[in-house]
Amino acid sequence: MEQFSRHEEQPELHEVVWKRACHQCDLLLTRSHAPVGQRLQCPCCGAVLHRNMYRSVAHTAALSLTGLLLFIPTATLPLIEFSLFSFGAENTLMNGVMALFAAGYIWLASIVLFCSVLAPLAKFLLLGFICWGSAWGSMAKPVAKALRWYHHLQEWGMLDVYMLGILVALVKMSDLGKMTIEPGLYCFAAMMVISSATTVSFDAETVWARLARHAQIPRKPVVEPEDDADDDPEQGSGEGVA
Amino acid sequence: MNRPARALSHGFWTCLGCRQLVRVKPATHTCFCPRCGARMHGRVEASLMLTWALTITGALLLIPANVLPVMTVIYLGAGDPSTIISGVFELYHAGFWGIALIVFIASIAVPVMKLVGLVILCLVVQLRLNVPPRQSMRIYRVVSAIGRWSLLDLFMISILVALVDMGAIAEVAAGPGSTAFATVVIVTMFAVRAFDPRLVWDVYESKKTESAAQSAPSGQQL
Repeated sequence: MEQFSRHEEQPELHEVVWKRACHQCDLLLTRSHAPVGQRLQCPCCGAVLHRNMYRSVAHTAALSLTGLLLFIPTATLPLIEFSLFSFGAENTLMNGVMALFAAGYIWLASIVLFCSVLAPLAKFLLLGFICWGSAWGSMAKPVAKALRWYHHLQEWGMLDVYMLGILVALVKMSDLGKMTIEPGLYCFAAMMVISSATTVSFDAETVWARLARHAQIPRKPVVEPEDDADDDPEQGSGEGVA
Repeated sequence: MNRPARALSHGFWTCLGCRQLVRVKPATHTCFCPRCGARMHGRVEASLMLTWALTITGALLLIPANVLPVMTVIYLGAGDPSTIISGVFELYHAGFWGIALIVFIASIAVPVMKLVGLVILCLVVQLRLNVPPRQSMRIYRVVSAIGRWSLLDLFMISILVALVDMGAIAEVAAGPGSTAFATVVIVTMFAVRAFDPRLVWDVYESKKTESAAQSAPSGQQL
């Protein structure tokens, strides 16, 4: 047994310099960054650890600004119009939320509001702030906070799902009355594409490296926490869920 | 005997906020990430318990979500409330079988698959089942990728409620089932977030260590 353990532990502990661990299977890796244009994939479980896109920060900044600008017509112009006999009604992004709210479905209305309006808007705002703010060293703290927020918010933006919802609604009501596509829908589709492009082009590692160049953010593959083991009873309850 | 090195057993933690590798002192319970400031743990705290709780909540809520009507289309004063499944059948009978399939997948297949997947993952960790970890990871990735698409039906309802609102002629009203359904989707999304996939690999590693310890003496005898 002794031979056994010595054999497998010694070379690993003393020779290899670990730089990263896979967040899905905890495998230790000797590389921390992928070359530009490539991605780092875990050899054990296949998780994509980070994707080093070409000019990630500049592209994300441009795309998030585009998304923010597209948000204005999307939120104000009607998306689709439904007409029956001489009656007509239009649907904007906020309309559905308001109608649900008025009908008393507050929980449902807030979910729809959050996933289709607030989260995408916050995503563009945060990414724009992260990309521009990371150029100044004095902004390091708020940018780090914004990165954490973005990390939690990322999966709640559901523009693509909403788009499919519009299509289903179009088909479902087509035998009842007349459905017409309004200019807002084109803006919405464009915003959806931009939103996906922004997600793909953004890479948090690039921003962290950029921050480290300007501010006192550690840029070592392995760091140690400054304060030792603070076992305060307040548990990080938000961490596991949110 | 070249076992892949896992971070936790070598005294490293990965920050889940920014994925920084952090070397921690042996008895640390929790600390803050030096780079992004997020609270860190070796493994997501109470991951299995939280995932179980949220999954069971989701499974229970799936009953009212499917039994209660999600919306009512009132046309010229008459209209019957439709549940999720009857909405799918309506679309199918109207000849839109493609859209019916999409709605069926998004609002019936996906939530059920997600709950089944979560239960399998929890069982693998809880009962230390002999499932290849790569298989479990595939389940985990599918479950975390498909979850958001279930909200399709709710977005559709919110659009229709605003669009078809012509008083006595035609009206679409949301039903109580939609609230339950929305909660199922949200709760299961949180359940996936709460699950720590590294637990699957912990189980796998510990089982491998056990079997190696058992086979080692017999190997010497031979």
